[in-house]
Amino acid sequence: MAEVQLVDVEKRYGDFLAVPKQSLTIEEGEFLVLLGPSGCGKTTTMRMIAGLEDITSGDLMIAGERANDKPPKDRDIAMVFQNYGLYPHMTVGENIGYPLKLRGMDRKAREARVQQTAEKVELQALLKRRPSELSGGQRQRVALARAIVRTPKIFLMDEPLSNLDAKLRVTMRAELKHLHHELGVTTVYVTHDQMEAMTLASRVAIMREGRIVQLDTPKKIYSEPADLFVAGFIGSPSMNLAEGRISGGRFEAPGVSLPVAGADRGDVVLGIRPEDLQLTRDGDAPISGRLYALELTGDSTLVTLRNGATSICARGPADFEAPIDAPCALAPKPGARIHLFDKKTGQRLDA
Amino acid sequence: MRKSILWWVERALLLLISTIVLFPIAWMFLTAFKRPRDAYSLSLDFSPTLSNFVTVFSDPWNLGDMVLNSVIVASVTVLIAVPCASLAAYSFSRFRVKGRKFLFFLILSTQFIPAVVIVLPFFLMFRSLGLLDTRVALIVVNLAIVTPFVIWMIKGFIDAIPTDSEEAAMIDGASRLRVIKDIVLPMAAPGILTSSIFCFILTWNEFLFALILTRRDAVTLPVGLVSFRTERGDLWELMSAAGVMITVPIFIMALLIQKHFTRGMTAGAVK
Repeated sequence: MAEVQLVDVEKRYGDFLAVPKQSLTIEEGEFLVLLGPSGCGKTTTMRMIAGLEDITSGDLMIAGERANDKPPKDRDIAMVFQNYGLYPHMTVGENIGYPLKLRGMDRKAREARVQQTAEKVELQALLKRRPSELSGGQRQRVALARAIVRTPKIFLMDEPLSNLDAKLRVTMRAELKHLHHELGVTTVYVTHDQMEAMTLASRVAIMREGRIVQLDTPKKIYSEPADLFVAGFIGSPSMNLAEGRISGGRFEAPGVSLPVAGADRGDVVLGIRPEDLQLTRDGDAPISGRLYALELTGDSTLVTLRNGATSICARGPADFEAPIDAPCALAPKPGARIHLFDKKTGQRLDA
Repeated sequence: MRKSILWWVERALLLLISTIVLFPIAWMFLTAFKRPRDAYSLSLDFSPTLSNFVTVFSDPWNLGDMVLNSVIVASVTVLIAVPCASLAAYSFSRFRVKGRKFLFFLILSTQFIPAVVIVLPFFLMFRSLGLLDTRVALIVVNLAIVTPFVIWMIKGFIDAIPTDSEEAAMIDGASRLRVIKDIVLPMAAPGILTSSIFCFILTWNEFLFALILTRRDAVTLPVGLVSFRTERGDLWELMSAAGVMITVPIFIMALLIQKHFTRGMTAGAVK
């Protein structure tokens, strides 16, 4: 267990700035998720913590000690690689036991520990196989098992569930969460899957073009996105965004007229989540348009309506039915959260 | 199933090429078992004998000494060149050092120099060192010739190994040397073995330097072959027997390479 601190850390490849100067503190025992689209610098950030990537400038502190020049082996970390990084010439059991072997654990103790770990990820039947004989999901579980076979100071996980099928992913997600609860090891987890981020994280750092745009609890990120990027990135289906203006205490856009708090101004983007909207028969509804699409998701129906440039999606009851192009009206649910952003800067406007 | 015309054309061409390539070798093997009077005849009808082999191993030819010289020179060269080249190849493949490309080019460029150009400087150098006609001299020269080539070859194999497994090992707690020992070498083993055999063959067949730098004590097999050109004429049947002795080990090694060459060791490491 250890606190990890990045102080003014920057990463350049020649002239290319991969991760601009920024600071980040990962608290002891925390589960921090780096979330963002591919190429946003989240993996690079993690690899700098691991010591696989040189830090161009700034300091990396692990448990209060400067670790910039420490080789990876001395950082006491375990990592799950997205591409597995298995040892093809070793059996599954030898793969999992390798970190223990390097630490001089004797064969008997090692085998017991490997067996125990393999059971956690349901690999006990495959210990004698080689990685080439396994499926993608099985290989990923080997990589996972190799990381959790001992208790390091820090866990680093680079999209560890990306190659599992949907069902196993959910199981392993719960397993990871439980493991973190059990061991309390500081964990940094990279993903582009918001569901994983929201369910696992103590805090989520949302990254875009190398920069952390918001660092907060999953709850806060969902309820108070710092800017338009976060607002659009988190939530499925994503938050409705409508461009318009505020005048006389109302937000106005084609087909939308909602009372909002805030001074009169143009160039405003209003955001409201589909789950915060409901269908209404009210003729004077704040949002109106024509039905554009209906998508049944099982427990609910996604209703998309359009009015000019505005397209708004709402989560309606599963039994909702209407012909396409029918006039349709929506209203915010009681207690619905309405977000306002500056169109130019993308920043959240707080009332 | 009927074979298509293409299949037949393919087989015919293969047969033609094999005949052209194998004919001289077959000729040599046959001649090695012929008596002197049959050596010039084209007939396949002769009574085979092993006497040529007995002759070449006895006085004055003493092929045994040359076999020993060749084995020692080639083996020691491989034993020194391959470990050094493996480490060098790993460094060239993995470390992003300034001037790396230029250095690599420099090493490869030694291969562009024709051997005849440097054989005289080598001769003078070894003469002043008192190393003429020794195996040490041949080993040194062969190392100089073979090492750059082996570095280049092994680098190719190491380049093809994904770095993920190495990074994983470093995180798991292995030092760089331990990574090389536990991860890189086993994964590159087929490549390193292939390179070793190539290295052995190159050294085994090396002729020019051995011809100039040896006289009596350190003569290797290819040079020894020349001694069958005597004032009594060319002793083809003896030359062929010696030729068989040179060829057979290489033949066996080529078979070994073939077996290891096709093994896909890196399968399953990464996606």
